[in-house]
Amino acid sequence: MSMLSFERKYRVRGGTLFGGDLFDFWVGPFYVGFFGITTLFFVLSGTMMILWGAAMGPTWNVWQINISPPDISYGLRFAPMMEGGLWQLITVCAIGSFVSWALREVEIARKLGMGLHVPVAFGMAILAYVSLQVIRPVLMGAWGHAFPYGIYSHLDWVSNTAYQYLHFHYNPWHMIAVTLFFAATLALSMHGGLVLSATNPGKGQVVKTPEHEDTFFRDLIGYSVGTLGIHRLGLFLALAGVWFGIVCIVVSGPFWTGAWPEWWSWWLNMPIWRT
Amino acid sequence: MAEYQNLFTSVQPVGPLHHGIDLPRGDDKRTGEPFLVHLLGRIGNAQIGPVYLGSLGVASLIFGIAAFNIIGFNMLASVDWNPIQLIRQLFWLALEPPPPAYGLNFPPLEQGGWWLIVGFMLTTSILLWWVRTYRRARQLGLGTHVAWAFAAAIWLYLVCGFFRPIMMGSWSEAVPFGIFPHLDWVSAISLRYGNLFYNPFHALSIVFLYGSVLLFAMHGATILAVGRYGGEREIEQIVDRGTASERAGLFWRWTMGFNASMESIHRWAWWFAVLCPLVGGVGILLTGTVVDNWYLWSVKHHVVPAYPLGSPVVVDPAILGVKP
Amino acid sequence: MKMIYKLALCLGVAAMLSGCERPPIETVQTGYRGTGMEQIYNPRTLVKQAPLNQAPIAAEAASPDGPKANQVYQNVKVLGDLSVGQFNRQMAAITQWVAPDQGCAYCHNVQNFADDGKYTKVVARRMIQMTQKVNQDWKPHVAETGVTCYTCHRGNNIPTQVWAAPKDRKYANSLLGDLAGQNMATKEAGLTSLPSDPFTPYLMGAQPIRVNSTTAMTGVGANANRASTKQAEHTYSLMVHMSESLGVNCSYCHNTRNFQSWEESRPQRVTAWYGIRMAREINNDYMTPLTSTFPPHRLGPKGDVLKVNCTTCHQGAFKPLYGAAMAKDYPELQVSAEQ
Repeated sequence: MSMLSFERKYRVRGGTLFGGDLFDFWVGPFYVGFFGITTLFFVLSGTMMILWGAAMGPTWNVWQINISPPDISYGLRFAPMMEGGLWQLITVCAIGSFVSWALREVEIARKLGMGLHVPVAFGMAILAYVSLQVIRPVLMGAWGHAFPYGIYSHLDWVSNTAYQYLHFHYNPWHMIAVTLFFAATLALSMHGGLVLSATNPGKGQVVKTPEHEDTFFRDLIGYSVGTLGIHRLGLFLALAGVWFGIVCIVVSGPFWTGAWPEWWSWWLNMPIWRT
Repeated sequence: MAEYQNLFTSVQPVGPLHHGIDLPRGDDKRTGEPFLVHLLGRIGNAQIGPVYLGSLGVASLIFGIAAFNIIGFNMLASVDWNPIQLIRQLFWLALEPPPPAYGLNFPPLEQGGWWLIVGFMLTTSILLWWVRTYRRARQLGLGTHVAWAFAAAIWLYLVCGFFRPIMMGSWSEAVPFGIFPHLDWVSAISLRYGNLFYNPFHALSIVFLYGSVLLFAMHGATILAVGRYGGEREIEQIVDRGTASERAGLFWRWTMGFNASMESIHRWAWWFAVLCPLVGGVGILLTGTVVDNWYLWSVKHHVVPAYPLGSPVVVDPAILGVKP
Repeated sequence: MKMIYKLALCLGVAAMLSGCERPPIETVQTGYRGTGMEQIYNPRTLVKQAPLNQAPIAAEAASPDGPKANQVYQNVKVLGDLSVGQFNRQMAAITQWVAPDQGCAYCHNVQNFADDGKYTKVVARRMIQMTQKVNQDWKPHVAETGVTCYTCHRGNNIPTQVWAAPKDRKYANSLLGDLAGQNMATKEAGLTSLPSDPFTPYLMGAQPIRVNSTTAMTGVGANANRASTKQAEHTYSLMVHMSESLGVNCSYCHNTRNFQSWEESRPQRVTAWYGIRMAREINNDYMTPLTSTFPPHRLGPKGDVLKVNCTTCHQGAFKPLYGAAMAKDYPELQVSAEQ
């Protein structure tokens, strides 16, 4: 069995949201649950459709495979399979998979007597995907505004979508999101480094304490957020980064059609200091 | 009754403030009387201070503040010394590197000379600060993992502002000091070198950037979710695995089939965060020195997807001449 | 939270959001599906712009019969072989297009219409020649639609969108604060920190606009592409101007994954290429030689003549006047006597 040494006592029934005991079992290390079944369904169908789309395309080169959304002329209607309909079905399977995965995480957390922070955090990432592929296209009137499924092709979409606004770096919510992303990465490196420095203090040293951790950062910058605080901070920086990323792209198009640098004219033209 | 979600501390016990682990002989005394800020205490520790102001720290601050002031005064001068216009135009203003004509020579002060001086001072400040992070760890008997993570960030900073400009033979390739202007630099380098999305090191760096955000969301959420079992007491959990670590590990094992330990998650964290600037720096260093057009490089390496072209295919008019 | 802070917060948010627009919006796909090549329009903005792009109705064509204008009038150097009726019709049109308030007196000494005393008459004569040149020789840009005086002037003595060399900054030669011709929020740079005068090097000078390499690896020696990252900022600034002038975005002409490739670009990019060369010719062969003709108050802050850029004609529309074909009603403006 692929169980860890301490695992058996935790494998109890309960915590499920739906389906009771019917799917309350493990396959190897994986917990199944009702949402494990739905995950499997959506993942398998979505993957098969991606593979089929690749087969219908010009290449099996994993970097070049591309499945595009429909032309904008189809609006919010279903498109023919080879004209973007496949993309639409894959998107449905993607959302189904992600939501199933999140609900499965809820069941697992409940079974383990844990808080629901992980599935909630994952929910923010799902919201980002849904915002890009559903909410923003609906606000703009066509599925064709969403990004294609392909490793490099989705980057072509990012490049062109950004240049629709001439200089996307000037989008203020994008600036906030990028700042939060870099701050999260900085904080992660500091937290990982700090814990490892206390538990791996070097030859001849004993493992240190949280007081050492706090002292290090107080010595360095005058403040230490502490063992609990850093996890709240990290979660906040990450989720806030994703949130502002969502805001920055949903605003681009539905709530701003011009060049992003031009948005700043409200600041420059304020009566107190306009020239 | 709503369940406590471990997001904000509702009750803050207040005890004697901590003046820090004793430092070995040779170190200075700490500065400042610690005090509490209740609002901070709702999220993390409430205590602010004391701080260690060693010679390294003071020297770093002197160089750093000097650099900051030179940038600031140049910006103020550029708006005719008008403080209101300074605030109004702050995001647009900059201290520019020299124009390309000067190569790697020292230019006139107002044409990039100040930028070079600031670059030198800021770099000195950052390197001194790095030594400080190393030393503070050693003096407390800690490992130097934070310092080495910081080194990865310094690597990227030096690539952008020092190594690459030298390899390109021109200080003008470096980044201006300014909010919007440094963003213009980012766009310009991508425009010049054939779209940086097609730089594989850039792509990998982004993988580690987004991966770090993902990891901190995962790790932060996991620890908060096992807060009721003392999950945030990570050192204790590492040397003596308790039910917090066990549940945390099993959550991920049951979700995705594998898991980290309370210690190894911090290694995942450290490496993901460090690899972002490390790999990114490599990508920037190769840009213009080895590869001149990342899109064409990617075409050469068969990774560029093809789209149907417009019809008829567009032809470069320069081939035909100005007056057809 | 205290009331004053709540109020300040509300005002701050309101100020920040005052710049925003709302759905529904209109989009036009300009590339393969999923590439993100699209034009985005706010219909409420278009409604506001429509009246600014209305072409005035042309007077009925005059008869070509009768004596020629240069037989009847004195000092007729252009449009001389029109009939008197056609000539007067053209003059009336020009008056409506350039000086509707001042009338004939804007250019002419009404005691002696032949007199070249007013600088406006000398300039207008040259501009008629310029208009004819553009319509005849720059069809790769203006096609059969062509231009008239109205395209730029729109009923104003001076076109509202012109440019001149920027004033030297007050601290240009002191020790501090040199912004290197950028890093200011200017209309010319579209409120970016990009260089604020892309016109002198590219729409008057013939500096190379292309910065990309045509090879993947860095060349050496004679094969090296010496364009700097800074130079890319200058090109970017010109491109921002072009985009704003036409009310379009980069994907109107380019697939931004590979800006330089002509195969992946749209035909509009070829039109723009000719437009740049046309602007250079207008500025160098027509405007600059007129510098000493203009009085000082009609010159730029550095004493140079006011010149054209993309926005002079386009004024925010992808085609001036949304492509209204005015020139066809004035065939005399479509043939040039110059080489």
